[in-house]
Amino acid sequence: MKNNKSKDELPYIPEIDKIIHEPARLTIMSYLYVVDSADALFLQRQTGLTWGNLSSHISKLEDKGYIKVTKEFLGKKPHTALQLTDEGRDAFFQYRQNLKQMLESLP
Amino acid sequence: MNEKINLKDIERKAYTSYHQDGILDILIAIFILSIAGWIIVDMAWFGWIFYLIAASIYAGAKRAVTVPRIGFVKFPQQRYKKMVWVAVSLGVLLNILGLVAFMQTAGGSPPVWVLFAFENYMIVIGLFVASLFCFVGYTFRARRMYAYALLTFVTFGIGYFLSYPLYYYIILIGTLILLTGLTMLISFIRKYPLPAAS
Repeated sequence: MKNNKSKDELPYIPEIDKIIHEPARLTIMSYLYVVDSADALFLQRQTGLTWGNLSSHISKLEDKGYIKVTKEFLGKKPHTALQLTDEGRDAFFQYRQNLKQMLESLP
Repeated sequence: MNEKINLKDIERKAYTSYHQDGILDILIAIFILSIAGWIIVDMAWFGWIFYLIAASIYAGAKRAVTVPRIGFVKFPQQRYKKMVWVAVSLGVLLNILGLVAFMQTAGGSPPVWVLFAFENYMIVIGLFVASLFCFVGYTFRARRMYAYALLTFVTFGIGYFLSYPLYYYIILIGTLILLTGLTMLISFIRKYPLPAAS
């Protein structure tokens, strides 16, 4: 069975970043990759995630150092901006490369 | 989803959703209608004031309507900077062209290209405004601007064969864009109600 193959039998499969690989986090990372910064409401509207889900995924990405959360003022209102860090940008780029390489090497 | 990450689609979706509030359309429509007002009655003062504060109105409307409903997003500035550079270059080029036309006309008989532009002014204006719409559409990634470009070109193209005053066509285009903008604004407000305070 394919699923039971050991890692040794699939040497061409590169390391896939499991933090990014999760669909919700992948979507969040993708959005933050194409914009400079966005707030949680924008990400929630775009991804369709619930506040709880979004918050939990943001925390995981922040803990990993992939995103930076900045408190700032928009006019007179406090506002939380989310932005990919350089490390996050590199990790996302690498993830895409790895995934592409892996898919291309499939028969 | 993991197998195919189409960043271009995601980027377009982000742009589209942020600019689907109709605010840009309404401002463009007011701008166009102010030109008609300028022609019909002496409303140049309104036009100038509006042109000067249009950017502030846009930013204020975005903050009041869009951001509380859909959130705030900052797009990469490279594209806008490039567009500003193109706009300024075009503006300078047009001014130089105008100056050359004025000097050549003042110096004697107008050159052929000036006469051609005057004789076919409906086509020239239609092409010019349609190009501006394409430019705005590209900058904001708003595909409907290309439809406005087509609308403008077709309207002025038809106007070339008819003998109605110029402002008729301007009012027609401005009104259609205003209605589109208002429809978009209403549907945006309905689609994205203010979220509960959290």
